[in-house]
Amino acid sequence: MKLFRKGDIAVIAVILAAAAIFAVLGRLGGENPRAVITVDGETVETLDLSQVKEKIIIRPETVPDVVIAAENGEIWFEQAECEDKLCVKSGRLSRCGDTAACLPAKTVITITGADVDAVVY
Amino acid sequence: MKKAAVIIAVISAAVAAALLIYDGVFMKTANVGFFAMNTYVSAELKGADSQKCAQKISDITARLDTEVLSRTSENSEIHSVNQNGSGVLGSELGGWIAELLQVCKKSGGAFDFTLGGVSDLWSFGSNPRVPDGQALADALSHSGYEKLTLSGNNLTLSDRAAVIDLGAAGKGIALDKIKEAVEKSRVSHAVVSVGGSVLLYGDKTFTVGIRDPEGGAGRYIAKLSVEQSCVSTSGSYEQSFEKDGRKYHHILDPETGYPVDNGLVSVTVISESGLLSDALSTACYVLGIERGSKLAAEYGCRAVFITQDKKIYLSGVSRDVIEITDNSYTFAEQ
Repeated sequence: MKLFRKGDIAVIAVILAAAAIFAVLGRLGGENPRAVITVDGETVETLDLSQVKEKIIIRPETVPDVVIAAENGEIWFEQAECEDKLCVKSGRLSRCGDTAACLPAKTVITITGADVDAVVY
Repeated sequence: MKKAAVIIAVISAAVAAALLIYDGVFMKTANVGFFAMNTYVSAELKGADSQKCAQKISDITARLDTEVLSRTSENSEIHSVNQNGSGVLGSELGGWIAELLQVCKKSGGAFDFTLGGVSDLWSFGSNPRVPDGQALADALSHSGYEKLTLSGNNLTLSDRAAVIDLGAAGKGIALDKIKEAVEKSRVSHAVVSVGGSVLLYGDKTFTVGIRDPEGGAGRYIAKLSVEQSCVSTSGSYEQSFEKDGRKYHHILDPETGYPVDNGLVSVTVISESGLLSDALSTACYVLGIERGSKLAAEYGCRAVFITQDKKIYLSGVSRDVIEITDNSYTFAEQ
């Protein structure tokens, strides 16, 4: 008794080919701008900014305390307990590649889906 | 006919399986971000060893900071030299110091990594303030790369009050060490940013955004296409503060001890070497467009100068590889 019939092989081949096409398209495909919030390198929140219309407040548990707000496709550090408040001064992020960081709180907001590999500063 | 269909199906399956295996094994990716060297480090790696390599990058930056470059970490080589006035350096650090001393000389002192005492008075990182003029003059009198003597790996400070601070080159040095690790790993592509100094590794053309001097971190005003290289920017927007209506930034003129005021807002340097891209971005900023361009060219590096009046000057960079994305900026007539 044969393990596979010719028809079975054809079906398996089609499934594998489809899987490969999806895998490749997955690498090539674009994506909506997503805001990724990390604390000490760990992702604590990911937001699809295109879906954020009403104001949202995010308060990752950090020391010093930071308050992050998102509204109408933008995200920003609204308040920070740190001394220099550079993160608050970074302003609102909305474009792919935008990044703001609060070093004392080890908190970073990055908009992924960038059309550049990196930004030098 | 049926036989032909089965053969095609089997070949398709083999190709598909090969693609999936290639994608799963060789195109593995790692995206990590962490804090080290008093800044944010991010790495995007592609290849079979991407996860392992990401861990190595984390280890390298942590070790470099605490054991070698930091002037505040009690276990670092630089801290030891600052404390004792001399020291026998590890061969790697000895090599980096020799290279940096050469940048000091070739830049005519525009790059100087002995300004630790001066920058402490400004305290840009924590509680920035305009220092007292006399205190600044005193600190300046104890700085100057001529006070360093490197003989083999023996480094001596002729003035015990001089303070070595590798803040203007440390990120670039880290990129060179990271590049070594990447080269030894099965990683085909890497984009690693150490506080905004970037390593671009791999056989492709990368696109790098040059930060908007007036916008938030991450925003850019131009896109630069580069092959494998290190790219660093020194900008007056980093670590700056305002006092009595005047803006002060962290790029200090080694001659005066005050922030450089020459009409520039940023200088970006592209080099094969991370150390050079980092150190030369500061040196070229201090020197200004004309002398900075000459220095960059002397090292075989390319540079992009951006002025306060939103002009972009290119040194060794073709207009074909840079695209202005903010229309308020224009290329300067050169």
